[in-house]
Amino acid sequence: MTPDKNDPQGRRGFLRQVALAAATAPLTAGLLAADAPAGVAPPPAPAAGPLPGYASLSPDEAGLLEAMLNLMCPADQLTPNGVDCGLAVFIDRQLAGDFGRGARLYRQGPWPAGRPELGYQLPLTPEQYFKAGVAAATAACRKAHGKRFEELAPAEAETFLQDLAADKLDDSHFALGAWFNGLVYPLFEQACFADPLYGGNINKVFWKMVGYPGLPATHANDMLEFRGKPFPGAADPKSIADFS
Amino acid sequence: MATRLKKRTVVIVGGGLTAGLISRQLTAQGIEVLVLERGGNPSNGAAEKLPNQRDELRWDVRQGLVQDWAVQTYSLRHSRKDSALPVRRMEAFLPGEGRGGAGNHWTGITWRWPEYDPALRTRLESRYGKTAIAPEILIQDWGVGYAELESYHDLFEKLFGISGKAGNLNGQIQAGGNPFEAPRRNEYPQPPLEFTEAGLILKATAEKLGYKPFRMAAGNSSGTYTNPDGLKLGACQYCGHCDRFMCEAKAKATPELLLFPVLLERPQFEIRLNCHVLGVDYDRDGRRVTGVRYVDLLTGEEYEQPADVVVLGAFTMTNAKLLLMAGIGEKYDPVTGKGVVGRNFCYQTSSLVNLFFPDRWINPFLAAGCSGVNIDEFNADNFDHTGLGFLGGGAITANLKGGMPIRGRRVPPGTPRWGTAWKQANADWYSHSFALTAQATCYPHRENFLDLDPTYTDAFGQPLVRMTFDWQKNEMRMSEYVTKKMEAIAHATDAKIVGPAVPRKSPFDTRAYQSTHIVGGTPMGTDPRTSVVSPHLQHWDAPNLFVVGASVLPHNSGYNPTGPIAALALRLGDDLVRYVGKPGRL
Repeated sequence: MTPDKNDPQGRRGFLRQVALAAATAPLTAGLLAADAPAGVAPPPAPAAGPLPGYASLSPDEAGLLEAMLNLMCPADQLTPNGVDCGLAVFIDRQLAGDFGRGARLYRQGPWPAGRPELGYQLPLTPEQYFKAGVAAATAACRKAHGKRFEELAPAEAETFLQDLAADKLDDSHFALGAWFNGLVYPLFEQACFADPLYGGNINKVFWKMVGYPGLPATHANDMLEFRGKPFPGAADPKSIADFS
Repeated sequence: MATRLKKRTVVIVGGGLTAGLISRQLTAQGIEVLVLERGGNPSNGAAEKLPNQRDELRWDVRQGLVQDWAVQTYSLRHSRKDSALPVRRMEAFLPGEGRGGAGNHWTGITWRWPEYDPALRTRLESRYGKTAIAPEILIQDWGVGYAELESYHDLFEKLFGISGKAGNLNGQIQAGGNPFEAPRRNEYPQPPLEFTEAGLILKATAEKLGYKPFRMAAGNSSGTYTNPDGLKLGACQYCGHCDRFMCEAKAKATPELLLFPVLLERPQFEIRLNCHVLGVDYDRDGRRVTGVRYVDLLTGEEYEQPADVVVLGAFTMTNAKLLLMAGIGEKYDPVTGKGVVGRNFCYQTSSLVNLFFPDRWINPFLAAGCSGVNIDEFNADNFDHTGLGFLGGGAITANLKGGMPIRGRRVPPGTPRWGTAWKQANADWYSHSFALTAQATCYPHRENFLDLDPTYTDAFGQPLVRMTFDWQKNEMRMSEYVTKKMEAIAHATDAKIVGPAVPRKSPFDTRAYQSTHIVGGTPMGTDPRTSVVSPHLQHWDAPNLFVVGASVLPHNSGYNPTGPIAALALRLGDDLVRYVGKPGRL
């Protein structure tokens, strides 16, 4: 079927058919109650969990990242924990791919330090930088708390993360605050809200949480019909996989 | 050794919007044009096909349609006292590449600038006195008036099927339009886009406060449209994937949809893709350029392309760079104020405030890139600046742009950055918030300029363009004023929470998107001592060399610059028809 791109009626008709076909696909709902706080109903679990295995991270690196992501995204009434949402897989795949290897990043020296507004200025690829930061954070954690980050009690871990984000853990050799705020935190947000194609946001759980309807978003009629009103499509967002 | 090719009549560097418009005028008169474009053919790829077209991570966050910074970036220092460093991944602005240039990933907002902008120095001096413009502020008249450009604005709006509502038809102010608009001979070719919920909120509040809100002039097609050349636009589907995306509905006006299909059929037109121009050949004694040199990226071979006429139609920075590298025109010196190439480099001054409405469904995903509402009372010189201590101003806008969830979420001030409370705030406010934004002027300052970086080079071994730029006192004062006005409007809505309204402050930050409206560096004007090109965009030192695009604008206004850039390009196309027939000073 080749809809005429210049005929909006034909286009909409085509897309509505696609949307209907996708809406009738079964949703396999499971339970993921183990680490949900007592007294709140767990959300429907992902149709599938994160793909097992990492492409870039070592077990130690993954250990810190997974603990951090489960702290930043605890299992609660809104979503499963960060690892079960696929956030670690997302970050691992980004580090192993174009982004992590520094594609589209200008990487010629010399490399003097500059003010923060000039942006990232290290010779490391984002993947190397990520790993250097994990090592520095692990050392900083051992210094502050005497153990690895993933061994901290929740309150200690939260304090450590707050200090990390607030630039309070920097040593003279590695700027941990800049690492967390400039690399880790953006990857965390992307992992939550990017299309599930990339391994995070499993089951579109973050899109459902906020009410983003995803794609294909042909809203010429919706604009008026649902302006200022709840949008029904927000409850059942569509991702790239739904149209592939 | 570069292979020397057969001479061509007109060679244009850069295959974007201006090249398309100039080529349209020239080839219609039978004059042959060759365009050299560093990028490829952007059409029919994943960028404009469902479902991948809607991929926020790929096209927006990772800048899939933007210049590859690994190949070419710019360096920055905030003042002459600093050393510049390369911006290794630019976020503040986003040049395009490929046929159509940034016209592929632009939003589509298509203003005409105020009637006074082309004669801004005259306007400000006559309104506020001869000393109103401080000596370090290099505002200058363009040497061409709005009246001469009006017919070209009109033609461009028809070619691109712009949707909007006239505010000033032949001097008659029109209800629903912008009362500050420059007078226009015709209504917009298409009616405006629908209001968004955010637009309705700004509209009601602005009217309550006595302002005159109006809808954006949109290169997002409000209906199906056929332009004067027979090329078509589909109707906008309000998906909001405009800025940083290509439009899969063929509803966003682009050179690729509305110029190149006709040009590619014309025997006088040729575009060579994947051809990166390395330099302009300048015969200093003969006071003329003889052609350009480029590398074909598909073979690695270098070519010398002789030409009767060369037009620089690349991104702002590249136009300046090609002149600096060839030594055409004197390089600007901020110490003496002498020289011209690199001066009048300006950015655009933006700020925003977030608004939160627990009881209203804003639905940020129900929007087009240009389905916004503006007020213009505090823009540019639309208000009396007597005693204010600054010049310029900005438009205040409510524009949703699609609510993409990675970059398009807002949470109230004080929200934790992670954890259940962070998630809950996102769940609570994603559909119940929007931002008012101000897009404001940036006037040229003696200390803001472009030159060649002494240290860093691009993938071709050529120096990076070095920006010496920071927000100056005039822009910071102006931003403070406009942002306060915007904050007052925010508080006059029924928003339950209004976030901090932070005016733009030094230092210029490359890490956050602000605007791709980078202008100047090769300014136009009437005086060869303060301009690179004449009011006809002809180089003062080499009459067969022309420069076009944002780089010729001597200041930036509080409006997107595509309108005047397009009008100047169409006019240059007509000028070149005359020039090719009878070369000489235009």
